[in-house]
Amino acid sequence: MSIGLVNMLSGGKAKQSNAATVTKDHQPEKTEPACQSNPLGNYIWDDVPDATKWADCVHCGLCLEACPTYQETGEEQNSPRGRVYLIKSVAEGKIGLDEAFADPVYNCLDCRACETACPANVQVGGLIEEARGQINQSMPLSGVSGTFKKTVLNQFFPHKKRMEKLGGLMRFYQKSGLQKAARKAGVLSVMPDHLKDMEATLPKAGKPILGRYPEVIPAEGKTKGRVAVLTGCIMDVMFNDVNKSTVRVLTHNGFEVGLPPDQGCCGALHIHAGERDTGKELAKKNIEAFKDYDKILVNAAGCGCALQEYDELFRNDPEMLPLAKEFSAKVEDITKFLYDNDFKRPHSEVNTTVTYHDACHLAHGQGVRSEPRQILNDIPGVETVDLPDADRCCGSAGIYNLTHPEMAGKLLDRKIDDMPDNIDMVSMGNPGCMLQIAMGVQKYGRKEKVVHTIQLLDWAYEKDKQKMHEYEL
Amino acid sequence: MFRKKRNKQKPDTAVKQLMGIVGEENVLYLKEDLLAYECDGYTLERGMPRAVVFVRNTQHVSDVVKQLNELEIPYIARGAGTGLSGGATPMGGEVIISLVRMKRLLHLDLENRQAVVEPGYINLKLTQSISDKGYYYAPDPSSQYACTIGGNVAENSGGAHCLKYGVTTNHILGLEVVLPSGEIIEIGKSGVPDQPGYDLLGLLTGSEGTLGIVTKITVNILKNPEGKKTVLAYFDDIDDASQAVSDIIATGIIPAALEMMDQIAIEGVEASAYPVGHPSDIAAFLLIEVDGIQAGIDDQINEILTVCKSNHVRDVKVAKDEAERSMWWANRKMGFGAMGAISPDYLVQDGVIPRTRLPEVLASINAISRKYELRIANIFHAGDGNLHPLILFDASVPGESDRASKAGSECLQVCADVGGSITGEHGVGIEKSAEMRFIFSDEEMAAQTDIRHVFNPDDLLNPGKLFPEPGRCVEVKHEEKKEAIG
Repeated sequence: MSIGLVNMLSGGKAKQSNAATVTKDHQPEKTEPACQSNPLGNYIWDDVPDATKWADCVHCGLCLEACPTYQETGEEQNSPRGRVYLIKSVAEGKIGLDEAFADPVYNCLDCRACETACPANVQVGGLIEEARGQINQSMPLSGVSGTFKKTVLNQFFPHKKRMEKLGGLMRFYQKSGLQKAARKAGVLSVMPDHLKDMEATLPKAGKPILGRYPEVIPAEGKTKGRVAVLTGCIMDVMFNDVNKSTVRVLTHNGFEVGLPPDQGCCGALHIHAGERDTGKELAKKNIEAFKDYDKILVNAAGCGCALQEYDELFRNDPEMLPLAKEFSAKVEDITKFLYDNDFKRPHSEVNTTVTYHDACHLAHGQGVRSEPRQILNDIPGVETVDLPDADRCCGSAGIYNLTHPEMAGKLLDRKIDDMPDNIDMVSMGNPGCMLQIAMGVQKYGRKEKVVHTIQLLDWAYEKDKQKMHEYEL
Repeated sequence: MFRKKRNKQKPDTAVKQLMGIVGEENVLYLKEDLLAYECDGYTLERGMPRAVVFVRNTQHVSDVVKQLNELEIPYIARGAGTGLSGGATPMGGEVIISLVRMKRLLHLDLENRQAVVEPGYINLKLTQSISDKGYYYAPDPSSQYACTIGGNVAENSGGAHCLKYGVTTNHILGLEVVLPSGEIIEIGKSGVPDQPGYDLLGLLTGSEGTLGIVTKITVNILKNPEGKKTVLAYFDDIDDASQAVSDIIATGIIPAALEMMDQIAIEGVEASAYPVGHPSDIAAFLLIEVDGIQAGIDDQINEILTVCKSNHVRDVKVAKDEAERSMWWANRKMGFGAMGAISPDYLVQDGVIPRTRLPEVLASINAISRKYELRIANIFHAGDGNLHPLILFDASVPGESDRASKAGSECLQVCADVGGSITGEHGVGIEKSAEMRFIFSDEEMAAQTDIRHVFNPDDLLNPGKLFPEPGRCVEVKHEEKKEAIG
């Protein structure tokens, strides 16, 4: 089917007088027939972006200064408003699905800060992810895989520090299933042998809890309720201490914790990268794995947000959509759940000064801001100090710090620069941020300990338990 | 950059020359990048620029302007592009000189209550950066989260609080300007208000980027008022609300802000990211703020409450704390953008009318709404008679954009007919240039274009804006621009 024909069939969406001529210049290079039954302008691939999302944008520009990439570049095409405009322009046939369009779409951190700023609740994140899905299908070779290849080869090998960063993440990739994508790009085959050694130099993480802990962990004392926990990939591989804390905190609060063994990666990184098909496969797995639970708790903001948006992922799949909606409604961040369920206030003091960093997918993605702060404030002895611009992205943004090291580095520099002096810890609710900020702390020779909010609560409870134990003796 | 550019468009000679001045990384010329610059906050008319140049300093601006003069290429200065009349929108083929990377606060002189900023400095950042010292910058357009002070100077922006504190021009003490010749001049050198000689500051402020490019701005900053209280009043009848506005002003109180929203506007902000919980069945609300010396504020508030009650207010309340006050204001300031939540597109108009004529003007706007079968919301800086009818339409429906444009024009005609004006704070730009005929004769406009020619003799700087060109009308411009893009 020719693109001109597709445009005609799309119901006159490509209505601009210049649309036809422009379209000719920008035919996608892949010549396989489009499998999309309802194409939209130059979006001819499966799972077209949602026109109702850009219809909400009136181009007012209130999102501009909320956007970290706009703050850094001042470029309209690298702003939320500009990106939405370009995404819409492809549907109108003004531009094609090509590299020049892909640049601004992939430069986005998908941090959702624009969604907080937007008066009309435009779902920019969803649009970006949908557009990336189209780009990926249109240009598989120069798409994300190509980027992996290019950035890893050109941006990482020459820089030792960046390599360390990459080495640490590699284990995660193996577990998460992203390995497959990376293999396709030839990343693994070109990894030097000493990468394994680099991995060994990373702080030794404990062993994952999924598969080691029992499937059901009973509540301490009287059972208040029954919840499931997503153990995640990076969380369970690199920060399984946080998962252990999560289980302890929940059981201490009277909840029976289920760890469904068939759960897997949430697919957030794949969806962010435009690998929507893989994302959907993973989502289906999780929807099945958690079907016996009414509440699914997540301690990784990025994962939680992705799970809450499974309905968005299956927007064009009438069969999966009701299941996804039902699933997404059950998902909640661990701090919000505890706060809403009147968590046990610890009595023991944890004498420390903490600043709290808002993970993008917690603050902007899920609207969870006050609950984790409230938990910190309710721990005796914890003194909290405000972090200026706490909800500005740290640059981690999934795999962004690998694909866009320069921009990610700038944002990390700003984040570390904003961190108040004389604090002992930085608390947050997302493993990607924890890795990124830990890297920043190290880079600038600072001493702060990077912790998950739930760990602080766990430590306070543990002190309580220890005291109880002492009394009993 | 991120992706390999196959079939990459090559920069032309002009672009290469500009790159020679500002560096390759500071020029955009790919079609996909430029497309995002084809309009500002006013989206009804669009045109493609030839390139976008990011300047870092005054010398860059001067050098770029000189180069473009030599090449006889027209150019436009652009800030954040939040303007609502197309002032930063190309007519087709201009080079955009983007000032957003000139965004430093250069100097702060609290003793003399002055700040010097670059044009790309964000309006709200100025207040944020001095609030801990007890100061603020008064002009507060609703786009202040994102708009630049340079853009505010170009448009002479107002805001909710200009009723008491005046618009941008009342807060500008000095400007550094690059003239279309490339010459760099300073106006109001010592930052002293009201210098002898002609009021060039006044002329430049609000000239919509047609006389020069501002590269440095000295602004007046104010001490935070000692006290501040805010009232929200719900009315079942818009005439009562209008009468309350007139009665409040008649008491002699000058509120810091006196805002009104009608039912459709309320529907919009309640569907937005910052709903307050306004009742959906009220005809209008008033948002009234009083500030100043602490003593006396309560008396003024009481007087305002009395006025509201005597005008059959359904419910009236004083903000109980700063959080509630901020919520009311966030809700109000999201007003325009919030229209996206209830309509795919909107066109905002910016008429000024005598306060007392509000009921009849609203009735006329209602009639226009029925005539064109388009919903019209009204957000109103009621205290100073600045009315913003928001015409809701769907650009993807054939003919609706044209109808919206005509409805907007008729709204302005109504404002002009009652002795008002076609713009209060958004500027004329492309949008309202034809409507300048509603309030100026040909001779009056010719006198003004003569002034433009003194500064901008070749008309290379922001051509086609502000004044109608003979024999042109909005529809014609639409067609021409389409050709330019094609």
